[in-house]
Order: sequence, then C-alpha cells, then structure tokens
Amino acid sequence: MSKPIPSSNGTTYTICVFTENTIGLLNKITILFSRRRINIESLTVSETERKGVSRFTIVIQHEIREEVEKLVRQIRKTIEVLTVFGYLNEEVIYNEIAMFKISTLSGAKPLDIEVINKIYKAWVVFWGLDYVVIEKTGSINEIFDFFNYIKPYGILEFVRSGRVAVSKSSKSLTDYLPEAEWEYYL
Amino acid sequence: MDLKEQQGADVSFNSDSQDYTVQTPEQVVLNGSHAVIRSLLAEGVETIFGYPGGAIMPVYDAIYDYQDKISHILVRHEQGAGHAAEGYARLSGKVGVCLVTSGPGATNLVTAIADAIIDSTPMVCIIGQVAKHLLGTDAFQETDVMGVTMPITKWNYQITSADEVPGIMAKAFYIAKSGRPGPVLIDITKNAQNEMMSGPFEYKPCSSMVSYRPRLVPKQEQLEKAAALINSAKKPFLFVGHGVQISGAEEILLKFLQKTGIPCASTLLGLSSVAVDHPLYMGWLGMHGNYGTNVLTNQCDLIIGVGLRFDDRVTGDVSRYAKQAKIVHIEIDPAEIDKIVKADAPVVGDAKAALEMLLPLVEPASHTEWVAEFAKYAEMEDRLITQPELSANSEKIKMAEVIRGLSDKTEGQAVVVADVGQHQMMTARYYQFKHPNSFITSGGLGTMGYALPAAFGAKVGDPERDVYAFIGDGCFQMTIQELGTIAQSGLPVKIIILNNNFLGMVRQWQQLFHEKRYSFVELQNPDFITIAKGFGIDGHTCVKREDLSQSLDKLIASDKPYVLEVLVEKEENVFPMVPSGACVSDIRLQ
Ligand SMILES: Cc1ncc(C[n+]2csc(CCOP(=O)(O)OP(=O)(O)O)c2C)c(N)n1
Ligand SMILES: [Mg+2]
Repeated sequence: MSKPIPSSNGTTYTICVFTENTIGLLNKITILFSRRRINIESLTVSETERKGVSRFTIVIQHEIREEVEKLVRQIRKTIEVLTVFGYLNEEVIYNEIAMFKISTLSGAKPLDIEVINKIYKAWVVFWGLDYVVIEKTGSINEIFDFFNYIKPYGILEFVRSGRVAVSKSSKSLTDYLPEAEWEYYL
Repeated sequence: MDLKEQQGADVSFNSDSQDYTVQTPEQVVLNGSHAVIRSLLAEGVETIFGYPGGAIMPVYDAIYDYQDKISHILVRHEQGAGHAAEGYARLSGKVGVCLVTSGPGATNLVTAIADAIIDSTPMVCIIGQVAKHLLGTDAFQETDVMGVTMPITKWNYQITSADEVPGIMAKAFYIAKSGRPGPVLIDITKNAQNEMMSGPFEYKPCSSMVSYRPRLVPKQEQLEKAAALINSAKKPFLFVGHGVQISGAEEILLKFLQKTGIPCASTLLGLSSVAVDHPLYMGWLGMHGNYGTNVLTNQCDLIIGVGLRFDDRVTGDVSRYAKQAKIVHIEIDPAEIDKIVKADAPVVGDAKAALEMLLPLVEPASHTEWVAEFAKYAEMEDRLITQPELSANSEKIKMAEVIRGLSDKTEGQAVVVADVGQHQMMTARYYQFKHPNSFITSGGLGTMGYALPAAFGAKVGDPERDVYAFIGDGCFQMTIQELGTIAQSGLPVKIIILNNNFLGMVRQWQQLFHEKRYSFVELQNPDFITIAKGFGIDGHTCVKREDLSQSLDKLIASDKPYVLEVLVEKEENVFPMVPSGACVSDIRLQ
C-alpha cells in the first residue's frame, strides 16, 4: 500500500514571519496558532541574509481564508515581529528535504543506485555498515513518490525537514523595511 | 495619544555617593536595582504599586533610598497592585507600574495583567526572578513567568544582566503606552538586580522601534473613503469606544458630532466620553445597553465605530448584526479590522488624529428625522424600565435608586468605578456621566474584585477628583483586603456596597435561562461595616429608602475613606437584555 501524502482539510498556506532573534519568540508565535486551534503542519526557522533577523516558515491548512488573514495580523502584532506574509502555494517556490535510513543487511534487496539517482534525483549521503542514508530534495509529492519506491527495501528511519519557501515576487526583503533600518541588525 | 514625538525626559542625575555606587571621577556606576529605579524616575514615574519578596529584595533595597522621589504603595495582595495600577493608568493616562516578587507574587498578578491587555491599559510590571544560574532548576519561588504571561502581555522580556536595564525599561514604557496601550512585563533575575553595570547609567527614552511601529496618522485614502460613506449616509450611527478616551478625542468628537449631526452611542468602556445630556447621545450599546441604540443598530445604514473592537457583548449574534449597514471602522490596532465585523472603510490610526483629519472631509448635515427615531424607544424604555426602577415602592431599595441618587448629588461629575455583575450594569445605566474620563470598570475580562483596588489606584492617579466605587457583595469579598491599603493611605475613596446577598448576575441567568435552578449563588455575607471598621475605615449600612439620601450625603461629606452598604432588592434583574446568542434587535424589555 502506498503512503498517502499527508493532508487535512482546506487550502495550504505558507506563512513567512521575519523576526528579531530573541529567546522565546518561537513560543510567542506558536501560541497564536494553538489559541485559535490551528494545527501547524511544518515549521522551520533560520537566520536570514541579515544578521539577527530570523525567518519562520510555517505551513498550515485552513478552510477559511479570512481566518488566516486574521491570524497573520495577530502575528504581526507581536512586538519582535518585523513583518509577516501569507502565501498560497502558487505564490511561492518551495521545497523540502527528506532523509531515509535504509537497511542494507545481507539478504536485503540490493539498492539500485542508478534508479535512485537518475529517476528519483536522490543521493546516498552516508554509507553505514548495514544501512545507508539517502537524501531527497523536492516537493512533498516527489518525496512520497520516492518513499513508495524505497519502502520495500526497509525504511529504518524517515524524516522531512518541513517546507522552506521564497516568494515569487521580485522584491527583496529590504523593500518591506527601509535599508537604513536593516542596518540596525548589522 | 499625543502625535508629537515623545520628548526625551530629563535624565541628568546628580552623582551621589551611596554605598551601592562605584564612584569614578566623572561618573556613577549603579547596580541593576538602582538602575531600575533610576529608569522609573527618568520615565517620570511617581507611584509604584507593589509587594516585596525574596527575588525582588535588591530592588526594594534600592527604593529605600528614593522614598522622597518616588512613592511606593504597599498593597495587600499582588492582584490589588495590578488593578490599582490599572485604575491609576485609566484615570491619569500615565503608565501604571507594579513591582512584585517571583513565583506566587507574579502569579497573583496574572489576573490583572490579563485584565489590562483586554482593556488596553498601559502597565509596566516588574517582577523579581531567581538568579540566572538557577533558571530552570525549580529553585525556590521559581515560576516560568515569561511562559505564563506570553499570551497576556503586549510584550514581555527577561533581564539577566544589569547592563540591559535602561534599554529594556525604555522599551517597556514605550511599548506599554504607545499605539494600543497594554501591559508589559519585565522579569528581572536576582543577579541582574545585584550586579554592577559595566558602565555609567545612561537613560535614553525610546520613541521608535524597528519591529513595532504603531500607525497614528491614518492614510488619506482611507479617510476619504470613510468620508464618502459618511457624506452619503441617510441613517448614520456613530459608536464611541474606549479608544476615544485613550486618545483624548473627546473634544474633537463633539465637533465631529456637531458638524455631521450624527447620533452616537457608547460601548461600556466608552461611557462618559460624551455627556449623557448631549442632544446626539442616544445611550449605550450591547447586552444591557439601551433599547433604541440596540434596535436601531439593525436599522441604520452606516456605523462609524471609533476606537472599539465590536466585542461580542456589543454585537450579540454577529450573523444578524447590522447586516444592512456599511461600516467605517476607526481603530489603532490593525488586527481589530475585520476581526468580528467586516469594515467597508477601515481607518487605521489614532482616534483623535483620525477624527481631526476626517472633520474637514465631512459635510455639515443634520439628521433630525433619524435622530427622532430614537425618541420613541427611549420613551418606552423610560416608561417600562427606568421610571419603575427609580420610583419603586418596594420594601427594599433598588440599585438604580442608589446609583441615580449619587449621580444627582454629584451632578454626574464624579469618577465612578464599577465592579462586575448586576451592579456594574446598573451603574452604567443609571449614573448620568457629564464629565469625560469618568467611568472605570473591567469590561473585557469582567474581573470580579477589580473595583476596590482600581478605585484606589484612580484616586492616587488624580487625587483632585472624587472617586466612588460601586461594588457587589460578591465582588467585595474578592479583594476586600485592599481596605487595608486604602486605610493606610488615608485617601478618601468612597465605597458603596450594593448588597443583594446574591451573586446577582449569575442568579439572573439561572432565573432566566436555567429555570430558576439557583446553583450556588446565595451568599452568607459577613458584616461588611464591622470589617471596614476593623480596617479603620468608617461606614454604615442603609436599609430603608427614607435613609438613602442622608446616607449618600454622609458618604459624600466624609474626608476619609468611607464604606456605605446598601441592602438592596435580592432578586432584581437587569433589563433591557440581549440574551446571549440573540441578535441586538431582539433585545428584551422584561
Ligand atoms: C473572578 C470572577 N469569577 C466569577 C465571575 C462570574 N460572575 C460574573 S458576575 C458574578 C456575580 C457578582 O456578584 P456580586 O458582586 O454580588 O454582584 P451582583 O451581580 O450581585 O450585583 C459572577 C460570579 C467573574 N466575572 N469573575
Ligand atoms: Mg450581589
């Protein structure tokens, strides 16, 4: 049986939150979701091209666009938040990374590296004694296609990074906050 | 909110030579605790409401040296400190400041912080915390106050080194008072209170932040769109919210009403911004508001909401709320726009600034016929509810008589603080406010026990004004210990207990919606006057109608704090009423 792509009801939204890098901010942001009973599908945080500015990429599913807009405005209210954007899938370029730990015990079905590389664009990044770690970057669909392909070989561990995304707009971040203010973080 | 840039406070200090300082030829180095107090002084803070304890002792030690410059008021429970700071802030417009210890001190303050955020009250709470190296070890009186208060503060921050103090305090005050005001909590670890700053104390007030930029001046195109709706409306209706008082927009609002001829009504926290005898003042809105204002909400063709958030106690069933009307929503907090009611013309900005800029854009008008429509509802409400309440010949006195009695005797000029319950709604109905900035109550949170400490704080905030608190017998017992604070201060706070021997508001709901199944609402009360006297506060009980006037005179005349208990009708109900879940035009008169 092939593993279905995880999904709940509603439209997928990618919420990008730019914040100062302070302790506890992750909490301040996620409690805004839990208070409204909005489940977070994935969340990643990293520092941006600006020192001291973090970027949260939060993916949620929701049936009502207005509720997502209200949520975005509430996030924007958080003091340390610099700016927030809510996107539909078609408004962003997004991807995730997945890692698969696959058993290579003697007697196991031998891996077909060529298929893995050429068809699935996945790469072995670690050779262990009795397992390998394969890394696959792509959309959720691509990751789950590969998941279904590799499953019969015996998956010991599987992890997805959650979505990272950049907007399709040609603006840079500094268009949203004047350059002079960004210098504050340099 | 003043639109001008905050002027930098004068922060030059004489260098002194106390033990806590390290004196170098040209500068004074302070420890974190002294830096906290110096920061408060630099912000112009005159009063702190607080309660000491282990984790805040260094700061208390520092205050000892500044007693001539800053007044510290010792409350009897940290919740009292919080509500007192709220009352202080609400009346004076300044930031209320609380100082408490870690753990239980902090958790006792939580209710007041939650109250302050929902009622947009500026407050800075300074909380002691265990030393940095003990954080996360379940040390004595360690509570994760940052975690606990994240959802109920406008901002919170943990200071773990003395050098952070001035910068963070400056931010705290700026955030608390600017934009939509709210509570800020500063958790300061004990080591940060004790250690010396690495350089001289310098205080720069904060007047802008990259990550927080409240919009005060609205966008011209938003104003123009709003003006177009206002100018073409046939039956416009203006709602006065708390934002009018917070921004000091009362005067410009009167000019706006006068020019446009638009009738207005008030939310609970907007009360007193427009005098009740203003010809365009039609009453208040919501669950226990007036008859006409609620019914005609569903007949007007335009609502102009000024500094309000369309709370569910105002709207009733939103799906049947003013569907026929266009909405102009003037509000400083963009997150309030479209939150409950979709705005056709949102105007994001300070209420005062918005009205000032809107005034030249609106055409002079009068809406005589539309205004006249309110009269028939007012007449009906007066005949069926108000007059019977005020001229009852029941055996027991009615709340309405007491409140209207005080209203008449004070000519509607007093500061009135109401607690939470029937007496609160009755106060809003029967006190005839004629002076702006005169009504203080817990609106959004409905915090029983708010009134006694808030009335005290209000009196501290503006000692020139007379402050009266209407408090239910249930509410009084929630923060009754603050009688001690009031007695110690000697400030003439006037307290009226409207004693119906019931948790009356809950009893009313049980009567109306739970077939009179009175489930745990009857109180066996103590002798309140004996208790007051035990605290050193004089008072008396009024039982008979013929004694009421004299009783009020005695309360008013006292130059000390005074408690007047009035035994009122036990099973009286507040009407009109929009039952919860009903729509505003289905308001019940009985
Ligand atoms: C802290 C708190 N607990 C419970 C309630 C629910 N509640 C609202 S009004 C009320 C009764 C208040 O009784 P009282 O002070 O006697 O006023 P009354 O309604 O009788 O005038 C209660 C229990 C509340 N608002 N706040
Ligand atoms: Mg009662």
